[in-house]
Amino acid sequence: MIGFFASIDWSDIALATLDTLVMLAGSLALTIVIGLPLGVALFLTGARQVWANRVVHVSLSVVVNILRSLPFIILLIVLIPVTLALVGTSLGVAGAIVPLVAGAAPFFARLVETALREVDRNTIEAVQAMGATTRDLVLRALLPEALPGIIAAATVTAIALVSYTAMAGAVGAGGLGDLAIRYGYQRFQTDVMVVTVVLLVVLVQLLQMIGDRLVRHFSRR
Amino acid sequence: MIDRRLALVALLALAACGSKPEAANERSLSIATTAIPHAEILEHIKPALAKQGVDLKIIVLNDFVQPNVQVAEGRVDVNYFQTKPYLDDFNKNRTPKLVTIAGIHVEPLGGYSRKWKSLKDLPQGATVAIPNEPSNGGRALALMAKFGLITLRAEAGALAVPKDIIANPRNLKIRELEAATLPRVLDQVDLAMINTNYALSAKLNPVRDALLIEGKDSPYVNYVVGLESAKTDPRVAKLVAALRSPDVKAFIEHKYDGAVIPAF
Repeated sequence: MIGFFASIDWSDIALATLDTLVMLAGSLALTIVIGLPLGVALFLTGARQVWANRVVHVSLSVVVNILRSLPFIILLIVLIPVTLALVGTSLGVAGAIVPLVAGAAPFFARLVETALREVDRNTIEAVQAMGATTRDLVLRALLPEALPGIIAAATVTAIALVSYTAMAGAVGAGGLGDLAIRYGYQRFQTDVMVVTVVLLVVLVQLLQMIGDRLVRHFSRR
Repeated sequence: MIDRRLALVALLALAACGSKPEAANERSLSIATTAIPHAEILEHIKPALAKQGVDLKIIVLNDFVQPNVQVAEGRVDVNYFQTKPYLDDFNKNRTPKLVTIAGIHVEPLGGYSRKWKSLKDLPQGATVAIPNEPSNGGRALALMAKFGLITLRAEAGALAVPKDIIANPRNLKIRELEAATLPRVLDQVDLAMINTNYALSAKLNPVRDALLIEGKDSPYVNYVVGLESAKTDPRVAKLVAALRSPDVKAFIEHKYDGAVIPAF
C-alpha cells in the first residue's frame, strides 16, 4: 500500500490542494456577490412581481442562458481579454477566477431565482400591503424567507465550481482536477489519480456537509 | 437453382482468395497517410511516379493507429504520417516491427515572443509557456535544452516534464498551458513554445517570428514507414527518391511557408 504511493510528490499534491481551495474560495465569494443580486433581479422583473418588466427580464435571462450554455473551457478562452483587463493576467489562479465566476454566477442566479419563487406569495402580498418598500421587501422578507434555499443553492454552486476548477488547468491555474487529468490520466500515473480524486471527494463531502448544517440552522420550519 | 448459385458464389470467393493481393502487385504501391500535408505531398509526386511505372494508391486515414496496423498486417505497403517517437511507442511489444525508411518533413515546434527579439534578450526569471500534455510538453523542453536554455536529466526522454530540468541558468519559470491557448497568451509571457499548426492559426510565421525552432535534425521528422522487406522494394525506392527530390523540396517550401520543412 505504501509502495503504491511511493512515487507521489506530496508537495505537488499539497500545492494543488491549496490552488483548488484558493480558486474555490475566491470564485465562490465573488459568485455570491454577483449572482445573488442577479438572481433577485431575475425574480423581481419576472411576471406579476414588483418590478415586472418583460424586456429587462428577457434580456437578463438571455445573458444568463448564454453564459450557462458555453462549455467552461470555451468560456476560459473567450474571456481572456476580459480577464486581462480586470486582473492584469489571464494565467494562473488569478486568471482562472474571472472565468470561474462568469461560469458560476449565472448558475447561482438561476438557483436564487428559483429559491425566491418558493417564498409564499401571501407573505409577499402581506408585506406589500403594509406599505413596505421594495428594498424592505427584499431584505426583510424575501431573502430571510428564502435563506435556507439560497444556502442550499450556494452549496450546489460550490460543488459545481470544484469541477470547473479541474479545467482551469488549461490556463495554468493548477489544482487537484488538473493534476488528476495531466498526471493521472495523460501520464497513466494511477497513484496520482487516486490521491487527487480521493481529495476531491473529501472536499465535495465537506462542502455538502457544511451546506446542510447551515441550511438546517437557518430553517425556520 | 439455389445450389448452383451458392456454388457460383463459392467459386468466385475462391477465385478472389487466389488472386494476388494488392500489396504484391508489381505496378501499384499503396500508402496510408494523413490528409495534410502528407497526402498533398504524395499527390504532388503521383504523376512523376506513374511515369516510372509505379501507380501510387494514396489511402487517407484520419486515425493514427490504423495506418500502422494495416502496414503491419501486409494490407498496405507503406505509410507516411508519423514521427520516430510515435513509431517506437507503437512497436513496443509488437511483431512484426515496423521500420523507418526515409525521413521526409518536419512540422516544427517553435518558441515565440512578443517581448523579446532574440533568445539572448530573454532575461533572468522570464516566464516560458509550454504545452501541458506529455508529448508536446516534452518536445518543447527538449527544444529548449537543445538551445541551451535548460539542461534536462539524461534519462528524461521524449516525455520530459519540468521536474526533469537539472540546470536552469536563467531561472526560467515554466508554465504548462493547454496547447491551443498558447498563441492567445503570448502577450503575457516572455516566450511560448507553440506547435506550428497553432502558431499559423494565430498568424505567426515560423520562419520569421520564431526565436528558436526545430530543424531537419529534429526527432519529430515524419517518416515513410514499412515492414523490413519494404526497405529493399524497388517501388518503395522509387517513392522515396521522388519524395526526396529537389522538386518536392521546392513544393514544400513554397506551399507551406515554413509550417512544414523538408527533412532532407
